[in-house]
Amino acid sequence: MKKPQDLKPDTLSLHAGQRPDKEHGARATPIYQTSSFVFEDTESAAGIFNVERTGHVYSRITNPTNAVLEERISALEGAIGSIATSSGQAALHLAIATIVNSGQHIVASNCLYGGSHNLLEYTLPRFGIETSFVDFRDLDAVKDAIKGNTRLVFGETLGNPGLDVMDIQQISDLAHDNGIPLLVDSTFTTPHLMKPINYGADLIFHSATKFLSGHGVVIGGLLVDSGNFIWDQNDNFPQLSKPYKGFHDMVFTEEFGPAAFINRARKEGARDFGACMSPHTAFLILQGVETLGLRMDRHVQTTREIVNFLSQHKAVSSVSYPELESHPDHELAKKILPNGCGAVFTFELKGGKKAGQNFIENLNIFSHLANVGDSKSLVIHPSSTTHHRMDEAALKKAGISEGTVRLSVGLEDIEDLKDDLDTGLRSALKTS
Amino acid sequence: MHIFSGTRGLQGDANPIVFIHGTGMDHTVWTLFARYFLRHGRDVLSVDLPGHGKSKGPLLDSIESLSSNLLNYLDSRNINKFSVVGHSMGSLIALEAASTQPERVNSLVMIGTALPMAVSEALLDLAKRNDPGAIDILTFMGYSNNARIGNNKNPGMWMTEGTRRLMQRSSKDVIFKDLMACSNYADGLEKAKNVSANTLLILGENDYLTPRHRAKDLINNFESVKVKEIRNSGHTMMVENPNLVLDYLSEIL
Repeated sequence: MKKPQDLKPDTLSLHAGQRPDKEHGARATPIYQTSSFVFEDTESAAGIFNVERTGHVYSRITNPTNAVLEERISALEGAIGSIATSSGQAALHLAIATIVNSGQHIVASNCLYGGSHNLLEYTLPRFGIETSFVDFRDLDAVKDAIKGNTRLVFGETLGNPGLDVMDIQQISDLAHDNGIPLLVDSTFTTPHLMKPINYGADLIFHSATKFLSGHGVVIGGLLVDSGNFIWDQNDNFPQLSKPYKGFHDMVFTEEFGPAAFINRARKEGARDFGACMSPHTAFLILQGVETLGLRMDRHVQTTREIVNFLSQHKAVSSVSYPELESHPDHELAKKILPNGCGAVFTFELKGGKKAGQNFIENLNIFSHLANVGDSKSLVIHPSSTTHHRMDEAALKKAGISEGTVRLSVGLEDIEDLKDDLDTGLRSALKTS
Repeated sequence: MHIFSGTRGLQGDANPIVFIHGTGMDHTVWTLFARYFLRHGRDVLSVDLPGHGKSKGPLLDSIESLSSNLLNYLDSRNINKFSVVGHSMGSLIALEAASTQPERVNSLVMIGTALPMAVSEALLDLAKRNDPGAIDILTFMGYSNNARIGNNKNPGMWMTEGTRRLMQRSSKDVIFKDLMACSNYADGLEKAKNVSANTLLILGENDYLTPRHRAKDLINNFESVKVKEIRNSGHTMMVENPNLVLDYLSEIL
């Protein structure tokens, strides 16, 4: 029997979730810039409110433009559903707030984006949620860190900024052995380079600000549900497996089965926390997603050339990119990231902090700013910016030194980028 | 047998509605519809067939035994008369129940149905080996070409993966036994002649699993039947066009 041929990622990037507008025939996704939606009649209004009929009520909860983006990312990830949020941080918060209560615990990688680290280390403890940060390369340490009140394991496909490759299969097995889900930040890889669900991730989130958009003009996030985790396999998640007074005693696992989590996240988290995405933002992110495959391939191709260029430069002491044999996760990267390890990486300058400053200040094309995943090339000095709240020990654990420079390689001409870097590196050499 | 009856439970409605899911599914496929009828004061029994969802086995491999099991369960709940709605395999179970005990069934709704409901040997072979390819085929064939691009009426949800995930929760042999039950149901056309219930068929224009033309003989064998066709919809109409399905259900139930 002929194997069914689902639509391929490049087709889904352009089409998933959207059919031409029935009223006017618009081919592009319209921007439904409206706060609210008129009901057909009182009966249908009651039906939508009571989850009998599908439809939109208020753009904090759902919006037709956002729904296209949500559906498209779900399709690309091989997931059952998604929620667009005001930022990647909002998506992370929504995931945690949906399933972790005060008095409970998270096990997280010690190589996280600085913003995620701030939320877990400094802010969530105010709400009674503690986090243990662990080296995810040490599976015994991860296992030991999981406690009776642990409700979530969380890491990044590629750790920030050292590009630790997360062994999602092994970590998810550990989480599942303990009846808890694995949440993965897939911002650096996007579904074009890797689908974490294929390796056992239960929940994914993206900062859509980055590669999904590519243009760097909006802030947005997406929380994605694989639909794989069995939330009523134990009593760990009463939010999903017991009656919820906030929605007429709805039991989400009973009424939605595999879609229990994403429904609770929308019906509670989107409703009550309100960190929704603007429809205009969703539209702009969709413009980026349309060319995701093309851009990511080019990002990777250019990054490989620049990694090679830097590796041979006399001003550089080391380059950290998982495709290099010197990277501790090289073998794992070959297995789960065969199409490339993204376009963000770090390298070490000879000459420490002063060399780093000289290097950055003498760049012309690379922009010095706190972002990644733009089509324009970016550079930053993590220890003085994105990770400045971490103490020396934490920085060391995260593989950051004073000479560490992080690049986000864009889509400019490769020769121009190499010339720009060479100019900066020659300035750095003068320092050392 | 596990049933979903909402938070209100059964309250002695003289005409409760029994919902029966299809191959490898469970009661959650009826959530929207069950909630509508519950809000309108009706008793609802959205069942997990034996070995499906939260119902324990053993698995039954004939439409007749699945129907008999259901009728026995309704007896145990002292439910004499009822209306029944079934999708795909569930529609055959509903037909069997309405045919063998016609005096008990007020209304019969068959969604995404055909008779005979033959299943290819290749698909049966995959299912027999519990090969995930069987679920891939059922998921793919279960939706229209439109739905494979998406534009779900339920915001933010990717239809095909939702269905795949539900079927992936099935225990070993569930898909095979279900498909065998469908394929072996030989007397359905004759059984239709015994039905006295108000009968409605809801068919999808682009149903690739149970193409609408294969319901023609069935339609002809009912004494009285209404047929609604959903334009551009595939087999999984409750997901592709939930509001229209609800409109049709609310007219007859």
